[in-house]
Amino acid sequence: MTIARFEDVEFGDDLPTFDPDTGMENVRRFAKAAQMMAARFTDHEGAKKEGLAGAMVPGVMSQAILAAMIHRWAPDADLVKIDTIFRAPVMVDERHHVNGVVTDLNEDERTAEVDLTVTNDAGETRVLGTATVKLP
Amino acid sequence: MILDLHSHSIASDDGRAKVENYCKWIRKKEVPIDGFVLTEHRQFDFAGDYAALARDFDLTILKASEVETEYGHVLVFGVTPALTERFDFGAIGLPLVRVIEESQHHGAIAVPCHPGRTKVGMCAHIETLGVPDGVTIVETLNGGSRGSEDESAQAMAAQLGYQGVGGSDAHIVSHIGRCATRFPAPVRSETELVEALQAGEFEALSWK
Repeated sequence: MTIARFEDVEFGDDLPTFDPDTGMENVRRFAKAAQMMAARFTDHEGAKKEGLAGAMVPGVMSQAILAAMIHRWAPDADLVKIDTIFRAPVMVDERHHVNGVVTDLNEDERTAEVDLTVTNDAGETRVLGTATVKLP
Repeated sequence: MILDLHSHSIASDDGRAKVENYCKWIRKKEVPIDGFVLTEHRQFDFAGDYAALARDFDLTILKASEVETEYGHVLVFGVTPALTERFDFGAIGLPLVRVIEESQHHGAIAVPCHPGRTKVGMCAHIETLGVPDGVTIVETLNGGSRGSEDESAQAMAAQLGYQGVGGSDAHIVSHIGRCATRFPAPVRSETELVEALQAGEFEALSWK
């Protein structure tokens, strides 16, 4: 479901969730485009040599995934601010889930505050944050 | 009476939730808690007055602190102005035993939180620093725990005879109330919270 106008949104609304492609091929594609071709992102063995449990999704890619969720929900909205806190690595080739929920509305500004999370199959929050979205 | 004993508002450097929105969320989503405790990082929020919100939403809203010791992070309930003069709440690596002793002396109580967490939890530090004196309660259910962190906390509590409390460790609105603590009687003030913890009749709860 997409929303078009501020009036379509209520406090507590869930944004449509989706499972982003955090497989190695897609992460390598992102890393190449973002000029971040480092082993910690693109190679499990290379990442382990750096002391990591495996390759991890770049933080900026996680943020981009969260931004994409907002644009899927509200295609005509402006993303005024997105603020992410990285609690734990988002591991490449593990399944993740992206969620958002409306936690504040400003009628004067026609903005919505949205809580954002990236969780794994164990239900662990790997990334959390908030966004401010200005709606038509 | 169920209270979320561990939450952060925008007063904390990594907190993103307004207190009013916690209240709205609890009522809108029918989160099964009667209130929450704001445990801001490395400070006590003397300025924050949430009495009107508490009244409007019929919730108990209390204030406490989360300080940082050589054993990891520690919640301090029952903070008074005099206690904040006894050690630097903003410091990193405070001596845990001193935090415990000063808290006791000023009618407060110190509770190590997320003890199963690497670096900022007590379990790992016991291996190198030994068992600290004076701990009676630890947080055994934390809403932000990953992997086996809560299990590690519970195992340590069982081994050392600590009681366990629960708190969400919420930093965003929608995470409030994921873990909490049930008390047998109403808790309406910071003083009553300390008394309830000292009485030892409580139960950690999780809705994760």
